[in-house]
Amino acid sequence: MSGWANYIVFMVATGGFYALLALSLNLIWGGAGMVNLGLAGFFALGAYASALLTVKLGAPILAGLAGALLVGAVGGYVVTMSTTRLRGDYLAIVTLGFAETIRLIANNEIWLTRGSDGVSGIPGPLKAELGSWFNAVYAAGMIGIVALVWFGLRRLDQSPYGRALRAVREDQQVAQVAGKRILRFKVEAFAISAAVAGLAGALYGHFNSYVAPDIFQPLITVYIFLAVAAGGVGRVSGAVLGAYLVVFFLESTRFAAAAIPGLSPVQHAAIREMLVGLALILVLRVRPQGILPERIPPAPRPASVT
Amino acid sequence: MTDRSIRLTRRTALAVGTAALAMPAVVRAQGEPIRLATLTPLTGAGGSYGPTMAKAAATVIEDVNKAGGVLGRRVQLISEDDQTNPEAGVRAARKLIDVDKVSAIMGTWASSVTTAVAPLCWESKTMLCTVSGADSITLLPHQGYLIRTQPNSTLQLTRLGAHVLSLGVKRVFQMIPQTPFTQSSISIMDATLKKGGAEQGSLIYDDKKPTYRTEVDQALRFNPDLIFAAGYTPDSVVLLKDIFRAGFKGKIIGMAYSINQKLIDQIGQAEVVEGVYTFAPSPAQGATAHERVKKIAGNDNPDPYTCQVYDHASMVLMAIAAAKDASGTAIRDNVRKISQGGGKTVDNAVDGIKAITAGEKVDYVGASGPCDFDDKGDIIDCKFRYEQIKANKRTLLKIA
Repeated sequence: MSGWANYIVFMVATGGFYALLALSLNLIWGGAGMVNLGLAGFFALGAYASALLTVKLGAPILAGLAGALLVGAVGGYVVTMSTTRLRGDYLAIVTLGFAETIRLIANNEIWLTRGSDGVSGIPGPLKAELGSWFNAVYAAGMIGIVALVWFGLRRLDQSPYGRALRAVREDQQVAQVAGKRILRFKVEAFAISAAVAGLAGALYGHFNSYVAPDIFQPLITVYIFLAVAAGGVGRVSGAVLGAYLVVFFLESTRFAAAAIPGLSPVQHAAIREMLVGLALILVLRVRPQGILPERIPPAPRPASVT
Repeated sequence: MTDRSIRLTRRTALAVGTAALAMPAVVRAQGEPIRLATLTPLTGAGGSYGPTMAKAAATVIEDVNKAGGVLGRRVQLISEDDQTNPEAGVRAARKLIDVDKVSAIMGTWASSVTTAVAPLCWESKTMLCTVSGADSITLLPHQGYLIRTQPNSTLQLTRLGAHVLSLGVKRVFQMIPQTPFTQSSISIMDATLKKGGAEQGSLIYDDKKPTYRTEVDQALRFNPDLIFAAGYTPDSVVLLKDIFRAGFKGKIIGMAYSINQKLIDQIGQAEVVEGVYTFAPSPAQGATAHERVKKIAGNDNPDPYTCQVYDHASMVLMAIAAAKDASGTAIRDNVRKISQGGGKTVDNAVDGIKAITAGEKVDYVGASGPCDFDDKGDIIDCKFRYEQIKANKRTLLKIA
């Protein structure tokens, strides 16, 4: 497979990583109301966990993915337990610091992560057998995994657990008074969310065969926030839609900017950046609730008391 | 009215005349264009280098098109932005390879971007020309689809070490941010200095700090005769100021890609940079290609990356002419035939293509150096340029 078709399946797969990250962010930001600016950090944790397990220890790819889920979840647990008293902006700053810390560790602990050289030669599943069809098959697999995670998180969202999580988001004192153990809810939600981000990182590494600290700059977190905000905060389907829209947007601006004649490459690049900023402003201005706004199902009526 | 109609006629005549003059070249350069790409950092940390790099490639291609193209075909350049980020770089490279179907990608700058993009290139048989310096890059299994014009860390630092020794210093302190060449920079410098009977202390710093006072204190405790400031421009501005404030009286040396005119202007205080030595890979003195790049960059001291991308574009076009085929594999198989091994010395693509079409063997000597490559894709040797800042001006000490 080559040409346009290969380009498109590559972007479908890339959209899949973005979608998983958006699902992760939607659970924690849309569901529990905790702002996680450290998304890139959890993405990195998973990517490095799987890359190092498969490259350095020769573990099979499935073991790498399992390792990424585990490391992501543990990372999420540690971050929430160490920030139990922080909410809102304060939590956001701490999580941002967490992501930078992970990036600095990846950059400097050369014995483990190979420093800024990064880890190259990460195996892809059946890469040799599939040859030029690798991208297409991987993209199909990504769609499957995104669908699976989407289904699971949607079930979670609509279950009593999801309602309790939203109660924590709206007012944690009220939730506490109602007898909900809010710390447990927060820790669990954050761990699941971080595990999904870790899975996205692992899948990214096996697809691109290379991870390096530079990949996990805050830029990617910004794109995912844009995706979730555009798709609809608190709506699981919205996160997936938003992620694919962001990738479509990032790629289509390439062609749109290049269509303007008489500009230098650097001006094209600047126009692309401006369009990203403009898109964010327009989404927040015109449709702050997102394309698919959150739907809160009515609470089930209590059985009639006689 | 009459006046206006006369002017129109004149203008039309001029246009027709120009078109007629341009005709042969346009007619000759027809058919499906040959597509080449630059993938340079136009935004992000490398954003100050990428734009001129893309411009250098564009100028080479424009010149070749004016002279009739290659193999009777026009050459089209597509420039994408790698955003100094491997993830964004890979997406851009995918587009260049799959949609634009380019036969070569030139000018990747950050080592992480090059390492990320390289597998895409060798899998799709696309040539990749890079300016990244990390030693690990040419060790990738690239099957020949990668060459780099930047001397690797080993070559650069052995030469720099020899120069430092020739300044007669005994105690050297290296201050360097974490980069892909940090470890080799420290260990190679260490080995070179030891051989010459000098000692080195070193410190790795975070390149985004607003002040380096504690780092400078630590350096001064080593009691160095010379400080080697091995960072990039933004952090070196802060570092040099802090070294000056700490009252350091010894010598300072740094890489010319960061200790450049921009840094001198930003510091704006002649005493701070007075006497600082700089070091850079360089073409031989009076190399004609370098003179051309000066004109493209619009200044007297074009950065090494711009020179290198000029060479990438020239070599790729000449390799296509020599192969009589514009595929990535053809470029891979012929790039060493036009860049080394004797023959008529050429310094630009237009003359080179002419000579190749006439059946001559050529040896390209570029703006960045002689451009001779070993089997791994590293350049074999190059000259270095040693300068010293005197009264806010970089003055040439020697090229050797």
